Amino acid sequence: MLILEAKTNPKNYWKAIWQRRSLLFYVTRRDLTVRYKQTLVGMSWVLIRPILTMLIFSLLFGSIAKLDSSGLPYGFVVFAGIVPWFLFANLFGETSNSIIANATMFTKVNCPRLIFPISTLVVGLVDFSLGFILLLAMMLWYGIPIQLEIICFPIFILSAAMLAIGLGLMAATLNARFRDFQQLIPFVLQMGIYLSPVGYLNQLVPKKWELLYALNPVAGIINGFRWSLTPNVIAPYWPGLIYSVVISIAMLYLGIKVFRAAEDNFADTI
Amino acid sequence: MTTAIHIENISKRYVIQHGSAAGSLKELVEHYRRLITRRFIPNFKRGQKDPYEVTTEEFWALKDVSFDIPKGDKLGILGRNGAGKSTLLKIMSQITKPTSGRIVIYGRISSLLEMGTGFHGELSGRENIFLNGALLGMGRTEITRKFDEIVAFSEIEQFIDTPFKRYSSGMQARLGFSVAAHLEPDILILDEVLAVGDVQFQKKCLIKMESISKSGATVIFVNHGIDAIKQFCKHAIVLEKGKLILDTHDVDEAIRLYLGEST
Repeated sequence: MLILEAKTNPKNYWKAIWQRRSLLFYVTRRDLTVRYKQTLVGMSWVLIRPILTMLIFSLLFGSIAKLDSSGLPYGFVVFAGIVPWFLFANLFGETSNSIIANATMFTKVNCPRLIFPISTLVVGLVDFSLGFILLLAMMLWYGIPIQLEIICFPIFILSAAMLAIGLGLMAATLNARFRDFQQLIPFVLQMGIYLSPVGYLNQLVPKKWELLYALNPVAGIINGFRWSLTPNVIAPYWPGLIYSVVISIAMLYLGIKVFRAAEDNFADTI
Repeated sequence: MTTAIHIENISKRYVIQHGSAAGSLKELVEHYRRLITRRFIPNFKRGQKDPYEVTTEEFWALKDVSFDIPKGDKLGILGRNGAGKSTLLKIMSQITKPTSGRIVIYGRISSLLEMGTGFHGELSGRENIFLNGALLGMGRTEITRKFDEIVAFSEIEQFIDTPFKRYSSGMQARLGFSVAAHLEPDILILDEVLAVGDVQFQKKCLIKMESISKSGATVIFVNHGIDAIKQFCKHAIVLEKGKLILDTHDVDEAIRLYLGEST
């Protein structure tokens, strides 16, 4: 027996998502396979974009600006920033779009709406894994030894994902009402890649700006990720690292709250 | 007779917003800027109509609708455009919430409010059957078990691995109905599913609906074509401007009322 009334019934929320896991499976498969249909190089696009970005950034920041890379190959420094950044940027962008992109489903079928953002998470993690394998290959190529600290890298990747999904859910909620965010987010991400330590190392930021710079949680995430790969070379800025992890958890929590408060109205407002 | 769906004083209000709130964020910000300016500068453009002003208007898509649908019923819902049919189906399908009142549903409910929701053009017919089946609430094993039947019913065996976007609209509609027809729910909601597809396929759909009904399922059917309602339904309600104006087992009477007010 099922009772439908005006007030929401918050229990069984996560159970309902679990019960519809086959939908999650097929939506994720759709998102994975559809992306590169009718392209020549197919899945290679996942790696082409970060590799091209790496080449340009290495040229600009390494060869032309000659920024300090603490003795590491500049391409590796950049790629170790790009891999977590792309995870963050892709997840943030896709999550914020996931509501309007699947609008026809919400307005015509009853399904747990959180399935669509979760599917973007899976797609993002698949892309990340490919980039990460390439990054490990680079380490082998350059003869950079892998240290024990590498077991810490999932902390920073998880933080990046939580931050992106949290912000993305809030943006998706706003996007359902005001399409302005569809325009705003790509711009924010375009700026964010320069405001975050993707093309350069955190330690290049002057000491007096260190605290202010660390307010961007992605700064701590990338710093921590690089440290886990090359702990002998990259100094972790601990306050920034801890702040980033805490903020990421808080944003995910807040994002889910906001999304759940608004989702019942999506079918009416979208 | 046991009840499948009990509908009690259901109302649904939509708030239609005119002016800035209906538009972009910029207009909304401008509206609030003007509101604040006016608060502090009382003489500011007094008497002029603010083009950014938000006005809201209430619209009751459904107003105090109550009726019961017995188990195994074949219910037709009649009403002109805007009478509230789709809103009622959306509330029953848990897509939107009622503003007041309540609905009690006994059994598993499946609804097809639009043919082929979630079908993706780049995916093959095969992949789309699994995606759409999962969207409508089927599990993976259930779809696998019924897969051959679904394909056979839709008559697209030959093109099952062709991208969906290459299908003709008739083929797309056939596949859409076919997936939904193999759901085996306790209650099946169908909204305008016969609008596409040729006469032969429409006949086939009606036969399939008949057999779903025979297996004990409750079928709720909205269709603008009167003939299908007349042929299939044993129970009809008529909605007009959000209100229930007739609830009868004399389907012909309901059709007369519906046609009468249409002209």
